[in-house]
Amino acid sequence: MNYDLVICGVGGQGVLSIAWAVDHAAFEAGFHIKQPEVHGMAQRGGAVSALVRIADAPIASDLIPEGTAQMVLSLEPMEALRYAPLLHPDGWVVTDVTPLRNVAAYPDTGKLFDVLFSLPKVIAIDAARLAHKAGTIKAHNMVMLGAAAALLPLPAGLVERQLSTLFADKGTRIVAANVAAFRMGDAAGRFTADLIGGGVPAGVAARVVPRIDFEPTPVDGDVVATWIRRLRSPTAPATARRVFASPRTVQLDLPAITLAG
Amino acid sequence: MERILLGDEAVAQGAVDAGISAAYAYPGTPSTEIYETIRRYAGTVDPPIKGLWSTNEKVALEEAIGVSYAGKRVLVAMKHVGLNVAADPFMNAAVSGAHGGLVIAVADDPSMHSSQNEQDSRYFADFAQVPCLEPANQQECYDLTREAFELSEALRVPILLRLVTRLAHSRARVIPVAPRAQNEANYVPDASLFTLIPSNARRAYAKLLDKQPAMVEYAEASATNALTLREGRRPAIVASGIAWNYLQESLGSALDAYHLLRIGCYPLPIGKLRALLDASTEVVVVEEGYPFIERCISAHGLLREPPIKGKLTGHLPRSGELTPDTLRRAFGLPVRETLRVAGIEDVLVGRPPRLCDACPHGDAYTAINAAIARMGDDVRVMGDIGCYALGYLQPHQAIHSCVCMGSSIGMAIGAAHAGMNPSICVIGDGTFTHSGMAPLLDAARANVNIKVVILDNSIVAMTGGQPTMATDEQVVDLVAGLGVARERIRVISPLPAKAGENARIIRDEIERAGLSVIIARRACVTYAKVIREHRREHGTTAA
Repeated sequence: MNYDLVICGVGGQGVLSIAWAVDHAAFEAGFHIKQPEVHGMAQRGGAVSALVRIADAPIASDLIPEGTAQMVLSLEPMEALRYAPLLHPDGWVVTDVTPLRNVAAYPDTGKLFDVLFSLPKVIAIDAARLAHKAGTIKAHNMVMLGAAAALLPLPAGLVERQLSTLFADKGTRIVAANVAAFRMGDAAGRFTADLIGGGVPAGVAARVVPRIDFEPTPVDGDVVATWIRRLRSPTAPATARRVFASPRTVQLDLPAITLAG
Repeated sequence: MERILLGDEAVAQGAVDAGISAAYAYPGTPSTEIYETIRRYAGTVDPPIKGLWSTNEKVALEEAIGVSYAGKRVLVAMKHVGLNVAADPFMNAAVSGAHGGLVIAVADDPSMHSSQNEQDSRYFADFAQVPCLEPANQQECYDLTREAFELSEALRVPILLRLVTRLAHSRARVIPVAPRAQNEANYVPDASLFTLIPSNARRAYAKLLDKQPAMVEYAEASATNALTLREGRRPAIVASGIAWNYLQESLGSALDAYHLLRIGCYPLPIGKLRALLDASTEVVVVEEGYPFIERCISAHGLLREPPIKGKLTGHLPRSGELTPDTLRRAFGLPVRETLRVAGIEDVLVGRPPRLCDACPHGDAYTAINAAIARMGDDVRVMGDIGCYALGYLQPHQAIHSCVCMGSSIGMAIGAAHAGMNPSICVIGDGTFTHSGMAPLLDAARANVNIKVVILDNSIVAMTGGQPTMATDEQVVDLVAGLGVARERIRVISPLPAKAGENARIIRDEIERAGLSVIIARRACVTYAKVIREHRREHGTTAA
């Protein structure tokens, strides 16, 4: 088993904490890891990345070769594209949809999302909103870790357990908020993967999922099936664009008629 | 117990388990975590490990030489350009030799992720004629650090341990061994060796030269210099340090077609190299950093029989760090297909680092820019090393140089002598005490017409919030002590609300002839909590 993961974002967003949690989960699962990361100047608001290599045999290179990463997990939508050259053609992009515009030349977000959501395997999450709901906006990174959990070669429970250690010195309230954030992300990530697995175009799912109000519990199978039916309809792409364009959140158990209208 | 450690942390753990009694460092990416980790462990061993974030790398190494003189083991950590600052004690400690084990861990930064050059510290070890150990992975970081102490005491020389960014800042499993007890104090028996007046120095240097064959012998026998000779004459690869990892990744079983020599210990194992060259139709040298080995074995390109390929011949890129893919290309192997993203070029722009929101440096730059706004287009401001070097970029574009630690003040003096007026420079509090005090003493002695802006944010911020040596009134006192008239030391508070007043003060000082020091004093916002902790530790309060 070889699994190469790129975690990326902007300095200060918590990329390294995600890497720490994945490392330690993989270590506990008995895997070999190599995990290089960016320290220093770039952490001042620049593009930051950490690579995680997980394998059941010793790993030679600290760096990931081009075209081998199975996933780019990004805390920011433009950053999600920066590491595309490392991604396998079948690889996943799991990204937050909240732009962090600290550069003057930041692209037009309409164009950015068109490119991002044209990818064959993309999971888009409004992590900032879910983190706020979980109790702290700082748990944004843990929402995203949760969103990736279903696709990682590690049991989600094992990854989640690392959070208690990671946030131990911040108190039980912060640990609980981060666990809730992780679980909401996990619910959203699994839901999206199920949609795509059920034949919903990734670009449609990517425009709807960020607006859905997830709870820190897995989405019921019947609800998923309803959404798959709904989002496979010919009008779904147009509806999805409209849903994404509006900041309003959509309830998971929303009747089909409301969405279609 | 098996743990996940950064390369830097593995070096620290190795040093602690080798029985160091002290450690010294100056922070610098990618070496900072070595001493940070030792500090965390310091109190867990008996007796506790002493140490300091030293004023600069030269001082750190001199403190370490003192520990070695007293018979105990000591580690010093710095980044590659830090060794330039410590070059004087480094070259001379090679001559005096070590008594207690003395290991200098130096982290190079190929590709210049956080540095102004990508110099290769193996040259420094060669220059000083001391051994260099070059780990390839985190376990070797741990193992070779411990080995370095043994070697240092066996040969009585300092040892350079060379890391590179991708090892220093990469995590993997490390299995430690039982720790060794610290040395008892035991002063160097022959003090003449550490008293390098010419008559002694000649004797000490002769001793260093006498040790050279033992160093080569050690390298020849070292398991980290592993020679694999296969049947018959065939192509060969020499790979050192982390390059070995990339080579395994990118060539895999294709490596079976080559003779292989893996290098992890210098001086170079001449016997093994001879055997390899004799059995090879050609040799490719793969090394992270400068073409050090390639230059040695090809005699700077003069000898190429068998053909020797590497960075000097254009076979591999001459600058920047290696990657598995550069090696695949160099060996004519296809790189893998990657995800193609249509339209990516229209929506992906660079994201350089920037000053944090509400950073005091930003307000200081706003004031400086306002002060010089009507003085013509060609006013230059000498900058220095630290977060505030980001002032070169948008939106401030306020500095016009950044050469090396402390250079701003000396460059401003020289530029003033060359006729530049106004001659302005900016330097942070950490960089000022690192190497800015000596040039300010020059400026004060000669009353050179320069304006020095000290950006006092109470912390060494760029490397992650290490304590500064002087802040607040201590900076004023240092500046006055160096001979700057008290009335020419102006303290401003870099805040948006005071932009106009601050610009006026800077302009006033520019208009007065002679040396002025303007201290822009406001604590770093990002490390506010750490600064409060440092203040509590030192019993000082905010100014």
